[in-house]
Amino acid sequence: MKSYYISKKIFIIIVIILVGQFSTKNFQAVEPDEILKNSDQELRARNISKNIRCMVCQNQSIDESNAPLARDLRILIRDKIKEGSSDEKIYKFLTERYGDFILLKPPFKLSTLVLWSFPFIFFIMGIFIVFLHNKKSKKIVKNT
Amino acid sequence: MKKQLFIIPSLLFLSILMIFLYILLIDRDPSHIPSTLLNKKVPNFETESLLKDKKFISSNEFGNQITLVNFFATWCKPCRTEHVYINRFSNKKKIKVIGINYKDSSKKAIQWLKEMGNPYYDVAIDKNGRIGIDWGVYGIPETFIVNSKGIIKHRHVGPITEKIYSKISLIIDKSE
Repeated sequence: MKSYYISKKIFIIIVIILVGQFSTKNFQAVEPDEILKNSDQELRARNISKNIRCMVCQNQSIDESNAPLARDLRILIRDKIKEGSSDEKIYKFLTERYGDFILLKPPFKLSTLVLWSFPFIFFIMGIFIVFLHNKKSKKIVKNT
Repeated sequence: MKKQLFIIPSLLFLSILMIFLYILLIDRDPSHIPSTLLNKKVPNFETESLLKDKKFISSNEFGNQITLVNFFATWCKPCRTEHVYINRFSNKKKIKVIGINYKDSSKKAIQWLKEMGNPYYDVAIDKNGRIGIDWGVYGIPETFIVNSKGIIKHRHVGPITEKIYSKISLIIDKSE
């Protein structure tokens, strides 16, 4: 009975930690003075910002980062949107200056072919090995 | 035959492990990001000059001789430590040293140059960091070498040390 209560407590603690984790995921660094009046344009800016790496912190998007450069880039993206630039044009502008590294999701290119194809190659290899192993096990069972 | 097949994934895994180990052991800075601007023309920009009464127009300043471009600010401590080396670069006859004062107070910058010595032929003011973005700057101090044709040949992120000074000097000597 005692162990039941302990495990229940542990379960509640885990749930609290997980909820906390997910709620921090929605954290944003956009400051009120940056937000555009036009909500459609603001939504576009937010969506682009979520895909742009903060070059200072490197593991955060500029949407979540408080670094000064992240703020500069957020404002620049909003200025470009106001000027009428398309999303593609904005991404091009940023990659021309900071390279593909600025994109949190690396594009599919010849140089990133290994990165993108390895999971699939390993997956196929895994299936192949499991298949061979099963076949072998069945043979052993049959013989016995 | 089948046994041999089972060895392949292990070998592959081991070789991947070896590649990772090699990357870990070689002398490299993982936070360093290679510049996409290398071997490209310097970005065009026009801004106020910190030292002169006329405007700083990039097309007038680059493409005549080898130029060292140094992004600095008075609030940046590593800029202070590397300033000795920038002063040393300015003694080289082969090059022109240009500073870009990054998101700083002009008043403080002028005072700073008076205190520490002015190695710059001219200083462009980058008030809001947009010039820095055009150069792909992400952490000052940053130093670029631009050849006499206005092409960016080298970029160094972080303060210049004795070792880096020698390295950049060699690049300047080899540049045309």
